[in-house]
Amino acid sequence: MIRLLVLALALYLTAPPAGFAQSLQDVLQTHRDEVLKPGRRSVGIVLDDLVASGLPQALPFLEAWRDREIVQRDSDGLFFRARKQSLYDLDTGEVIGVFEKNNLTASRPNGGVRRAIANALVQFQMSDPDIVKRRAAVDAVARSMDASQLEPLAASIDAEADAALKARKSRLVSMLRALFEDTTNARVEAINTLAGDLSVDVRAVLNKVLASEAGVAAKLPDNENIARVLEVGEDITAENAYAWLVEAELAPPLVSNAQIRDALLTNINSGMVGTLPVAALNTEAARALAYDQLAAEGLAPPRVKEAERANAIAEHVFYLAYTEPDPAITDAAQKALTAIETKVALSQTVDLGLDALSLASIYFLAAIGLAITFGVMGVINMAHGEFIMMGAYTGFVVQQFVPDYTVSIVVALPLAFAITFAAGVLMERLVIRHLYQRPLETLLATFGISIALQQLAKNIFGTQARPLTSPEWLDGALAFNDVIAISYIRIAIFALALMFLALILFVLKRTRLGLEVRAVTQNPGMAASMGINPDRINMLTFGLGSGIAGIAGVAIGLYAKVTSEMGADYIVQSFMTVVVGGVGNVWGTLAGASMIGFLQKGIEWLYPSNTLAAQTYMILFIILFIQFRPKGIVALKGRAAAD
Amino acid sequence: MKLTTSALALTALLGTTAYAAAECADPIKVGVLHSLSGTMAISETTLKDTMELLIAKQNEAGGLLDCQIEAVVVDPASDWPLFAEKARELLTVNEVDVIFGSWTSVSRKSALPVLEELNGLMFYPVQYEGEESSKNVFYTGAAPNQQAIPATDYFLEELGVEKFALLGTDYVYPRTTNNILEAYLKDKGISEEDIFVNYTPFGHSDWATIVADVVALGADGKQVGVISTINGDANIGFYKELAAAGVSADDIPVVAFSVGEEELSGLDTSDLVGHLAAWNYFQSAETDANAQWVSAWKDAMGEERVTNDPMEAHYIGFNMWVNAVTQAGTTEVDAVREAMYGQEFPNLTGGTAVMLPNHHLAKPVLIGEITADGQFDIVSQTAEVPGDAWTDFLPDSKVLTSDWKELGCGMYNTETKTCVQLTSNY
Amino acid sequence: MRKTFLMQNPSVLWFISLLAVFTIAVTLMSEATGVSLISTSFIKTLGKTLCLCLVAIAMDVVWGYCGILSLGHFAFFGIGGYAIGMWLMYARTETIVAQSLASQPIPPTSQEISDAIGNQIFGVVGSSEFPMIWAFADNLFLQLLMVVLVPGLLALVFGWLAFRSRVTGVYLSILTQAMTLALALYLFQNDSGLRGNNGLSGLQNIPGFEDTSQATISIVFFMASALALGAGYVFFAWIVSGKMGSVVKGIRDNEARVRFLGYHVESYKLFIFTTTAVVAAISGALYYPQAGIINPGEIAPIASIYLAVWVAIGGRGRLYGAVIGAAFVSLLSSWFTGGGAPDINLGFYTIQWTDWWLVLLGLSFVAVTLFFPKGIGGLFDYLVRKQP
Repeated sequence: MIRLLVLALALYLTAPPAGFAQSLQDVLQTHRDEVLKPGRRSVGIVLDDLVASGLPQALPFLEAWRDREIVQRDSDGLFFRARKQSLYDLDTGEVIGVFEKNNLTASRPNGGVRRAIANALVQFQMSDPDIVKRRAAVDAVARSMDASQLEPLAASIDAEADAALKARKSRLVSMLRALFEDTTNARVEAINTLAGDLSVDVRAVLNKVLASEAGVAAKLPDNENIARVLEVGEDITAENAYAWLVEAELAPPLVSNAQIRDALLTNINSGMVGTLPVAALNTEAARALAYDQLAAEGLAPPRVKEAERANAIAEHVFYLAYTEPDPAITDAAQKALTAIETKVALSQTVDLGLDALSLASIYFLAAIGLAITFGVMGVINMAHGEFIMMGAYTGFVVQQFVPDYTVSIVVALPLAFAITFAAGVLMERLVIRHLYQRPLETLLATFGISIALQQLAKNIFGTQARPLTSPEWLDGALAFNDVIAISYIRIAIFALALMFLALILFVLKRTRLGLEVRAVTQNPGMAASMGINPDRINMLTFGLGSGIAGIAGVAIGLYAKVTSEMGADYIVQSFMTVVVGGVGNVWGTLAGASMIGFLQKGIEWLYPSNTLAAQTYMILFIILFIQFRPKGIVALKGRAAAD
Repeated sequence: MKLTTSALALTALLGTTAYAAAECADPIKVGVLHSLSGTMAISETTLKDTMELLIAKQNEAGGLLDCQIEAVVVDPASDWPLFAEKARELLTVNEVDVIFGSWTSVSRKSALPVLEELNGLMFYPVQYEGEESSKNVFYTGAAPNQQAIPATDYFLEELGVEKFALLGTDYVYPRTTNNILEAYLKDKGISEEDIFVNYTPFGHSDWATIVADVVALGADGKQVGVISTINGDANIGFYKELAAAGVSADDIPVVAFSVGEEELSGLDTSDLVGHLAAWNYFQSAETDANAQWVSAWKDAMGEERVTNDPMEAHYIGFNMWVNAVTQAGTTEVDAVREAMYGQEFPNLTGGTAVMLPNHHLAKPVLIGEITADGQFDIVSQTAEVPGDAWTDFLPDSKVLTSDWKELGCGMYNTETKTCVQLTSNY
Repeated sequence: MRKTFLMQNPSVLWFISLLAVFTIAVTLMSEATGVSLISTSFIKTLGKTLCLCLVAIAMDVVWGYCGILSLGHFAFFGIGGYAIGMWLMYARTETIVAQSLASQPIPPTSQEISDAIGNQIFGVVGSSEFPMIWAFADNLFLQLLMVVLVPGLLALVFGWLAFRSRVTGVYLSILTQAMTLALALYLFQNDSGLRGNNGLSGLQNIPGFEDTSQATISIVFFMASALALGAGYVFFAWIVSGKMGSVVKGIRDNEARVRFLGYHVESYKLFIFTTTAVVAAISGALYYPQAGIINPGEIAPIASIYLAVWVAIGGRGRLYGAVIGAAFVSLLSSWFTGGGAPDINLGFYTIQWTDWWLVLLGLSFVAVTLFFPKGIGGLFDYLVRKQP
């Protein structure tokens, strides 16, 4: 196939196609079924024939096929290109009719086939003047890593105008050389140029070079490139080791309980197996005894004794051997990989740290409103989560009216604040105001409001999750290297969290309102006699806390989902954040959120396959933490600390 | 919108009742046991609407056995014990002839003992983990071999995937499906190290680390693919994170078993184009029957509403039941069950669904790629695959088979030639 | 002594008589006696409601009398259900397995039996090994002991830690809520060995009574629940009426003052917390065989909040208030969500109660806490005072 492709390439570049009597349609018709319903493994022959035909129109056809624009007319089985309601002839490229869905069947090449088509296109596109096509070609090479592509890729480097693409191409060439170059020196040299590159595909190349196979023998073979010798009990379990021996036919297989049972079953003789009655065979020991009798009579293979097993294992050596026979190459690759992996491990730690930081900022953002209403005012607001939800739905509704995502977010943030601020003030005036002396009952009343709001949201917006789409400039991720990356939306949430931290600190510590808030929380009676209106202050503080929850809702909706139940997901978490951090202190909430975020990521790292376990253990830890430090991380001292 | 639809459904319902009472002394009652409130309402309300539409259409066409069909709709409120309670109520107080209902496995397992005790009949329309075949339930959704296995084959054959990340929500369906897939992949020569499994809680939203882990799987040069049994809302965060990390379907394809047209309507799909889902039905299927069904649905429910796989399951199940009742001449459960075996009805995606004696359907398996408009491009469609109640890929269930017609047993051990139990494993 | 206790608390006598009359009347009208005025499914609902009343009494004692707003008592209720559920599942499966293995040509080994049971129980969650916590599941007596011991010990340890550190008020509420959340999340995991999200099901089929009809089983459980409720009521009425009751109420009203009077407040609180936890577990053990299935969703934090709400609506600090609250709200709730309430057509909009019931319920909490802090039970006070 490779030779064919090269030949075709030469023909395509030099000779005009006039000499070929065949039309593209003819080629397609010989593979009619395969063109209509292509499969990854079987499409190769069509592609070979197309390339071999040397037809210039094969190139646009392949592109159209990849883009799913090829249709077949049901009446005569001919293929056309369908584009913008018109049908084009594949050979002449002229419009021959309108697109009518009813008598046409579309060919839908799947992902695997499209990749094969992209590979076939590489030859033609590697030096295409259109940079988009060149990029696609390089992508295709990177995905397939086929030896045949080394040559055209290497040839195209010098002429590459785009610097970034050129760097990518030369990196790819090094990777292909490391895999497919003929001489040891050339491969080692290529491998050395890859050292220090953290990307997944470079590691993939090195790991391919270092692919190894497990082996077992009586003594270590000289003719293989041994990666390492495995210690039984440390590197592999005795069971596995013996299983390898059995697989290599170096030891007899173990007799399983099921096999014992089967052997006994086939040898029942008038209610007896050997000298034992069937009714007595209800323990494993009895069954083993009966089986050994059968084995002694030659009716079944003998059981492998423990000692024999241990002997067999001791007499053999277990090892991993590289499939690459040349130790010079594997040594170089191993060296390069070790260096890379140290860096990767470091980067992964940093990446995990970033994830934890991001999670902490999300918890912080969700909890910061509570830090004010619960932490400063001491009001348990179970409807806090529903304020978050209201904010998120505000964002959704705004996006229905303002189609531009950037503008809609700019509108939604203050609007969410305004709406939840108003809701908060309303709730404070109507309900909470009457319950300041009864904190536990506030909990119940706000819980009632919470379920009512949740159900209202369901009645209005339905139970289906609603889309809240972030603006384009928040798409994608900021990548520091190939391992450390964090999505822009998370960075934005982080920035938002910082902003609110600063804002609240400023309001509480530096403004008249903050002074009054602190005065009212510490001693409402005294504050009132100093001319502060506690009603107004409570109302504003509660509104502020609720408003921030609304903004948090927009942010959380952007990165996750908008449903009527999203608030409930955050409420318990948020209360714990505030309590762990220490009530009555914004810094405490920050400390609480950071601790929970980092802890959760830490436990997730320990239990990579079970996120639920991580959450469970984190909550258990929080419970214990509060038991031993009831006032939280940042405990208030003095009078303010009293309940 | 919701307002008008509810009102419509209500009038349809009231109209039916009045009509039925006038014509028929003993009206035929169909119980609808789908959650209309709580966490599962998001999925199940659609199925209640489907049933009401199907019943209204059947009544327009003259009803059944000269009677009009009356729908008895109850709301188990996503509360699993309530499924048992409501099922009992439907069967003993309302005396329905058949129940169409349940979504989650746990709700089905909750209703099962009641159905078996009172000899009721239920049609269960959702893809599930298998390992069950009750005398009193017809499973019109996909068993693992009708969804998970063909999708995995597609990954192996068509996309050349060599390393698998099995991501799921932590509950029974993903757990069992992943167990089956692990065993299947090992059969196919994929080694244990090349299978990464992760479970997350319901509604999980913090996906950054998991997506990074999946990307890192490619470090040994193998093509990575993700098989997702992530349920419900959690998918939104997952796909958003995939898009943010720049993972395209060409690099790491994701095939999902719980993401259909309904779920995609909560998402901007432009970044997800090319990722896959496996079902027995997609709205984009090009047949006349499907075009009719989709337009009937949109007429009744509104232009922006989509159809999905469990709806087709109810469509087939209901029509089969109607035909079986007509054939048996009665709605009596045992007679209808006998008449159900071998019952055929055309699929909306082409071909014919057949009810097998193990109470599962033979249906084609479709694999679709997500398109930018929230629909699926069907890239693969198999012939009808018979549903297998007991998977062949787990040693314990390999020896089991179900055949209610010949063997009269839903859990028959082919090795010892005995029926393990007549009731189900709940 | 007993006489004076009842004399001082006429409400106890009233309650017991009413409960007895109610139980007998329902039993006579049930399907089990052939009268069939009340359907089996409604008997089950009534039986479950009685269990909820019992756990509500426990909640009332710990909150209304002792002032600890525990948002975790439903966790103990659930543990009781799980403990009894394990035996029910194990014993039922054992019967099935024994029957199916008996027909084999050679008798099974104990390992084979255990594997087969494990496979039946855990097959649906993709495993067949018996976890440690099932060690006693084969023994009804030991497992019944677990119903009391496990939640008792958990409450003891948790309470001891919390009260020792003087965690009080809303902090304690949040802490108990965290406890029930942690427990629910733990049970949600498949690896917890209790079948994850599926939980334990088929609990209404009592091993050894396979041939007894559900009509009979339901009435037996109904009567057992009524008995438990009566006993629980008398027990708690006795506890809160004596000297101990005065101390406990004192702790509620002013903990510091009681401590200065020389009482060891922590011990009292711990006693109340643990006792109520055990009673909650017992009511759970009676509830779930009637419900038929238990799973982690049952002990999600919201369930415990509802429990507090029942008590608040019924009236705190009076045992009958808790009973009224639990019965009233849970029955009303099932009436509304079950489509029993007629829709209201406003002309421009139809109120469907399945959609609007939770809104109504939520707003009524607010109304009760704001305007009727004594709850429905407060009405009785009003009536009693009116009498000459």
